[in-house]
Amino acid sequence: MDVREWALIAFTILSQMAVGSFIILGIVYFFAARKWGEEEADRLSDRALLAIGPVLVLGTLASLFHLGNPLNAYRAIANVGSSWLSREILANVLFIGVGAVFAFMQWRKISTSATRNIVALVAAAIGVVLVFSMSQIYMLRTAPAWDTIATPITFFTTTFLLGALAVGAAYVANYAYVQRKEPGCADTQCEIMRSTLRWLALASVVLVGVHLVVLPLYVAYLASSDVAAANDAVNVLMDDYGVVFALRLVLVFVGAGILGAFLYRNASSPGREKILGNLAYAAFAVVLVAEVMGRFLFYAMQTRIGL
Amino acid sequence: MANQLAFYFDVARCTGCKACQVACQDKHDLPADMRWRRVAEYSGGEWARNQDGSFTQNVFAYYVSVACNHCDKPICQEVCPANAITKRDDGIVLIDEDKCIGCRYCEWACPYAAPQFDEDSGTMSKCTLCVDYIDAGQLPACVAACPSRALEVGELSELRAKYGDLAEVAPLPEAKLTEPAMVIKPNAKTKPVLAKAGRLANPEEV
Repeated sequence: MDVREWALIAFTILSQMAVGSFIILGIVYFFAARKWGEEEADRLSDRALLAIGPVLVLGTLASLFHLGNPLNAYRAIANVGSSWLSREILANVLFIGVGAVFAFMQWRKISTSATRNIVALVAAAIGVVLVFSMSQIYMLRTAPAWDTIATPITFFTTTFLLGALAVGAAYVANYAYVQRKEPGCADTQCEIMRSTLRWLALASVVLVGVHLVVLPLYVAYLASSDVAAANDAVNVLMDDYGVVFALRLVLVFVGAGILGAFLYRNASSPGREKILGNLAYAAFAVVLVAEVMGRFLFYAMQTRIGL
Repeated sequence: MANQLAFYFDVARCTGCKACQVACQDKHDLPADMRWRRVAEYSGGEWARNQDGSFTQNVFAYYVSVACNHCDKPICQEVCPANAITKRDDGIVLIDEDKCIGCRYCEWACPYAAPQFDEDSGTMSKCTLCVDYIDAGQLPACVAACPSRALEVGELSELRAKYGDLAEVAPLPEAKLTEPAMVIKPNAKTKPVLAKAGRLANPEEV
């Protein structure tokens, strides 16, 4: 592992988190606007929406450190016809572009909310294409440890898990801000935050379930494969990074499962905003570390058929 | 002009001397740890004790010299995001360093480990089939250097007519993955592709 591989870890994690946050923020906004009205939904979401931008830009900048010849980086979209890497970069650029247009329109309340919704839906669809393209990059017919359905499943699980918990943490931070600056709105915002965090906690418990089912099945599948390169990948995972793999599973279970369950319970009854906030921050931090470790292992398991 | 130039390799003739590898490094002025052509050593077998105390063995070893196979379905070209890899009319697959972004995706994809990263330029490099020599009507450096004439270069269809169409043996990958422009003549001990009878004995050299 050198700087170039860490650049890929940073890029894939940050952009998946950005896509997941954008989509989850949109879903929450949709329901919050129906129940509490657009103004309160805006108050809940707008600052979190603006926070996605820097995450995405940071990830994209990190990706440049992966390149041996970054001066040619603009050429990365030259082969959209056959390279999933080109498709990924194109989707990434489009997601930044359409996402930025939407964020600006939403911030300044330009045009009608119906029009803004359409722009947001387009950005969300591009985000899904981005994560899908990202997973297809690794599904090379010569890389058996990557060329499984587990790659897109884990990429999308990571996307929505990090998205849900990042948005949860953002709502908590947003509520603290609202309490200080607009105390008149704090009560409604508190109710929205609690209600939303409950759903996000539930989502993260379900998503960690997907991880904990898929990852062991995936390892068992590689271990039982006839292909030597697939077995080699399991050996790397178990022999070289067994502790990291165990820690990764434990941390994602603790972060999204246990802290998620506490988050759900504490969000169910009012008056526990302080502990709720701490839980949301902790769950996000622990899961972020677990997902970075998972992505590290994903790259460490790079083995190839042949020489 | 030829349709698809290809390498021919005779397992029985190769002694594993690596003159091809060194001639290639010399011709292209490669650093010591970069080998556009490499000689893989595949070996295995075991000793069994008989009832009378004598031993029987089936130990074997052979060499496979591999460079870029200028594949018919070059996966490097397929995955390259920068369109930096092209295939000429005569089948030679080339990397344009001026277009390469150094993402190393082709390195992940190629099952022959042909594209290799050049730390100095930050771009990928690989066997060019000595395209300058080919254009001047000369033999590639590796073919010219082989003391036992185990290597040849020629039109793929002609090589196949002469030597058959085998393009996969252990420890090489299956030919269906990239359809390499290569003809291999096996010897008696050569194991089929995907065989588990032996192992790559010199992974640090390939």
